[in-house]
Amino acid sequence: MRPTSGAAMPKRTNRKVKGQRTFIIVSLAPAILSFLAFFLYPVLRTTLMSFFDVKGLTDVFSSWSFAGLDNYRVLFSSQLFQQSLVNIFKIWFIGGLVTIALALFFAVTLSSGVLFRQFWRSLLYLPNTISAVAMAIMWTQYVYSNQDFGLFRRVFSRLGLHSLANIQWTGADYLFTSMLIAYCFGSVGYFVLILMAGIERIPGELFEISRIDGASLFTQFRKITLPLIRSIFRTCAVLWTINALNFFIWAQVFSPFGNPNVITPVYYMYQSVFGATTQISTNLNVGAGAGVAVVLTLLILLAYGILNFILPDKTYEY
Amino acid sequence: MKRFMSEVRKQISLAPAWVVLLAWLAFSVATVGWIFAASLSTTREIFTYKLLNSGLHFENFRSVLLKYNFARYFYNSLIYATVSGVGTILIAAPAAYVIGRFDFPGRKFLTNNFLVAMSVPIIMLIIPLYGFMVRLKMIGSLGTLIIMYIVTSVPFTTYFLIGFFSSLPQDLEDAAFMDGCSQYRAFWQIMFPLASPGVITVGIFNFITVWNEYFMALIFANTTETRTLALGLWHTVQSMRYVGDWAGLFAAVVIVFLPTFIIYLLLSRKIIAGITGGAVKS
Repeated sequence: MRPTSGAAMPKRTNRKVKGQRTFIIVSLAPAILSFLAFFLYPVLRTTLMSFFDVKGLTDVFSSWSFAGLDNYRVLFSSQLFQQSLVNIFKIWFIGGLVTIALALFFAVTLSSGVLFRQFWRSLLYLPNTISAVAMAIMWTQYVYSNQDFGLFRRVFSRLGLHSLANIQWTGADYLFTSMLIAYCFGSVGYFVLILMAGIERIPGELFEISRIDGASLFTQFRKITLPLIRSIFRTCAVLWTINALNFFIWAQVFSPFGNPNVITPVYYMYQSVFGATTQISTNLNVGAGAGVAVVLTLLILLAYGILNFILPDKTYEY
Repeated sequence: MKRFMSEVRKQISLAPAWVVLLAWLAFSVATVGWIFAASLSTTREIFTYKLLNSGLHFENFRSVLLKYNFARYFYNSLIYATVSGVGTILIAAPAAYVIGRFDFPGRKFLTNNFLVAMSVPIIMLIIPLYGFMVRLKMIGSLGTLIIMYIVTSVPFTTYFLIGFFSSLPQDLEDAAFMDGCSQYRAFWQIMFPLASPGVITVGIFNFITVWNEYFMALIFANTTETRTLALGLWHTVQSMRYVGDWAGLFAAVVIVFLPTFIIYLLLSRKIIAGITGGAVKS
């Protein structure tokens, strides 16, 4: 996940220096050209492709045949694709609630003076710096492992909780839940950082005054912290949306052969267009694969719309 | 004494946080610690709960690095992360400098485009770009993925650096122009070094991101010669599970996570400051 920078853009006066125009153009050209060639062109081409029947990944435009909305019809009538939409909604909604609520708990308690605050913050953020493949393998091959050395299996059987010890965490029934727990565990730290930065900006006097007035920690949280970090909630929700909707690695590691319980749109698209080594054998054409990408983009926009509705951009002056 | 008691009382009122944090710590240490120990043990020791019973088995690492080709994957990941990191800065820094310090038509529009590019899902890009790379006969060379990493990092890196460049003082730049310094020299020799804290932060960040990237590597570099560590890990785990080489499997995990883990231990303060620095609108 990436740092967020609210770049301030002060207005500059025009200085007359010789060759300034050329300098501006030369400096911007590589960034603009790479944007045009590697963002704008593919986005337009993928959108166009989703309305065509395209047989192969490398087919040139002249060999495409127009298919109208056929690709979308095929997609939405596919049970696997429907399942992938249900899964991505659950990951976004349930995972988002759990992760941001947990992050808020950590951010609030750490900023109200738990000792060794820096250490805890670094610990919570640590999973974000480690390869997601390595993280997911640690979970599936050690923590959730149903081999005798599996962490949960050993700990729960030592404690005599045999029903818990016998849970098949990576079996079909629990696979989705296990995966979501592991994913949220890894994501929390990033949101802790962002929320803490927001909370620590709130002037200390507000808490001081309310404490003298006899407000409890909980009242302070509800009446001061929560309203004042509203805009940061929005930032968190937007960042969560971008990351969650691109969900892929965890699904692939938790289910190398493509269990429908954990399939997501990106995984579905990857399997149907690029890979063919799994149970999921679809005979989708590349145009339908492009359709998945378009649907995902629309979902991101829809999620932004919902967020705008729930958390309108209203800020308090303080 | 009174201060001390009030501190104690405060920590007690935060007891729920302490419980969760300590459980979190115990879980993290137990998991990472066990995996380290398992990577230096034998598979038999792993199954009999006697980790490290017969000394340190570094041969697990040797076999992963040589037999399973991880030495090559490690080299590839290092090349991808460093070359694309430098390339990204070379493209993004001049753009960020110009956007941050000059007024020209379309400046705001350009910034917004970079912002939009940051929310475009990668799968929206890969089908046309894959076809493009195949037609250029680029699949199977390290260059393909380097190009992909550079172009996907530029929008964010540029956006991040704009703030750093626009906050630099004007005087030095003016003095340079007075002395007849060209704008290119003024930028690379004066302004760029001044913005180095931002450049270093975003550079570390891009290095870690590329090191850990998986999806594009899977599409564009899925041959033994071009694979990244993360991709190699996934392939290797599938076969190691099959033959039951658990010690080797955990050694492979350690090789993948150790580099960024060490970078984080050394630079966590800088990385965290970079992330929170601009997160809150001022």
